[in-house]
Amino acid sequence: MSAAPAAAPRWKAILFRHETLLLLVLVAEWFYFDAVGARFATLDNTFEIVRHHVEIGLLALVMTPVILTGGIDLSVGSLLGLCAILFGKFWRDAGLSPLEAGACTIVVGALAGGLNAALITELRLPPLIVTLGTYSLFRGLAEAITHGSDTFTGFPSSFLALGQGHWLGLPAQTPVFVVVALGVWLLVHRTTFGRGFRAIGFAPEGARYAGIPVERRLALAYVLTGMVAAVAAIIYTARLGQARADAGTGYELYAITAVVLGGTSIFGGVGSVHGTLLGLAAIAVLDDGLVHARLPREAAGVLTGVLLLLALTGSVAPKLWAARSKRRPAPPAATPPSPPLPTP
Amino acid sequence: MKRILPLFLLAGLVLAGCSKSAETSGGGSAKKLTIALLPKSKGNAYFVSVRDGAQRAAQDLGVDLIFDGPTDTDPAKQNELVDNWTTLGVDVIAAACENKEGISTALRNAQSKGIKVITYDADAQTDARTFFVNQATPDGIGHALMDEAARLCAKSGQYAIITSTLTAANQNEWKKYIAERAADYPDMKLVAVRPCDDQKDKAQSEATALLSTYPDLKLIMAICSPGVPGAAEAVKQAGKAGKVKVMGLGLPNENKLYVHNGVTDSIILWNTEDLGYLTVQAAVALAKGTLKPGDTTFTAGKLGTFEIKGDNILLGKPFIFNKGNIDQFNF
Repeated sequence: MSAAPAAAPRWKAILFRHETLLLLVLVAEWFYFDAVGARFATLDNTFEIVRHHVEIGLLALVMTPVILTGGIDLSVGSLLGLCAILFGKFWRDAGLSPLEAGACTIVVGALAGGLNAALITELRLPPLIVTLGTYSLFRGLAEAITHGSDTFTGFPSSFLALGQGHWLGLPAQTPVFVVVALGVWLLVHRTTFGRGFRAIGFAPEGARYAGIPVERRLALAYVLTGMVAAVAAIIYTARLGQARADAGTGYELYAITAVVLGGTSIFGGVGSVHGTLLGLAAIAVLDDGLVHARLPREAAGVLTGVLLLLALTGSVAPKLWAARSKRRPAPPAATPPSPPLPTP
Repeated sequence: MKRILPLFLLAGLVLAGCSKSAETSGGGSAKKLTIALLPKSKGNAYFVSVRDGAQRAAQDLGVDLIFDGPTDTDPAKQNELVDNWTTLGVDVIAAACENKEGISTALRNAQSKGIKVITYDADAQTDARTFFVNQATPDGIGHALMDEAARLCAKSGQYAIITSTLTAANQNEWKKYIAERAADYPDMKLVAVRPCDDQKDKAQSEATALLSTYPDLKLIMAICSPGVPGAAEAVKQAGKAGKVKVMGLGLPNENKLYVHNGVTDSIILWNTEDLGYLTVQAAVALAKGTLKPGDTTFTAGKLGTFEIKGDNILLGKPFIFNKGNIDQFNF
């Protein structure tokens, strides 16, 4: 969402938007892998890409408001693991139906998100530190409950269909993803909550003086993250047909990468949900395309890193060049790109 | 546009670099069979040596081999690779399964798309694959352990066994076949069976206790992998290297030092390169239709003929690592 100078023509403003550039990268990736890889751009494979990235996508979607407020949630991957095995416990050991177990799991997710929120808003601890703590706590609990070895499996096929089946030809988990994506998009872009998130990320004290209930908005973002992490855990369990304590290891970093690649400033205040979706798609296509191009999996890490750094460079470079060409001293590097002021 | 041009050029260069390497690795695959080999984890030295054997088989048979696997601990990664290979349309998937139930779903899906599936090293659910290349049967391991122990003791003397726990199913299975074979060596006398809880230091203290309790002990056999170096350390510290022999099931790398110091005599495991070679041979034969369910033998190129029991292709006799050959293996 780089704000173009008012004098620039409109097409230029659209072209230099971060999202536009990302879309071009995505299209380039798509055609490249289609040319190099076998059976890449088929409908079947497109659905596989979607199926494999719904969980990370859900986490990235709800991570967006969190990062917009200038926060971060490192605990989502661990919470996914904890929720997955608790779902298994509710179903196998407590004898609940998958639907009831799922509802209980989402409540647990909300409570876990609430724990993050309470520590961040009540004790005023930095989100990075709080969620680093819960990152270890949630994974540790998952391992303790299962003693690191218990695996939940043998779920009924009606439940497994949620992760493995089809719905109107689409992977069965697609509707869940679409609903969450729409919900988060509306929340961030079409409600006062969304403006609140940006205002908090831009200047927390300013937001407080402007009458925004900062604590409640922050709590909303983290509780939402916890709940959606639980949903992701249920879908993950259905997709693999098993729940183990190591489910979702490293997903938090994938999710954060998608958000930042999508143009959301890690300092908060600037960003968009559609940017996150594009960032997610760019990573997902890369991840899948490499297998079809028969390139080793390790390359995904390298190329994701290159892509992220290119995107970041691309988003600040025009500004730096513009500043230089006007023969003014370049702005200090630490200044985040200035967002348009939130309008009430 | 000028401002963005360099970025696109850079991106183009990166992509061009990739396309070159892709051409060299995937080129000329028009009608060749493609075998996808899935390890439990890609960097593990055990699977690296499986890959070496698999590559030799792929060369001998003129097929394309894809060797790829998880580099981190996310259990979903094996499934995703299998799904990707399914849409890619490889001919055979050969998998070492980290999560039996989890991966079986993906393997069954691959089968439903006409891809042949076999497993090796660790099996999936039986309806998710046609054959399992079984690297070691309990009787094969038990008999090999006892034969080697008798050979080292010249068929007579006291010996003791160190197991992981007294209740572990696989350990008891192996002990059963050790006892079965021990009947052939009447002068070999089992004096004690001790658990080490799969810990090297516990194995060491148990072995130390054994050495003082049974002064005439001639051999310690450890049948869990931490047990062998543990027992070797105890024998070494007691200054009884050579007098009390140490042998057992384990990985070559963990025991190299003791084997070279003359403390440990033999390590028994399977030959991992042969496992990779046999797996690819079986995969190709299955794709070509020369290997079918119901067959009782299978001839795998240079390695000769293997027995098939039910739907298990047996790698056969375990391999004995000793001073003479242990340096050829790195896992």
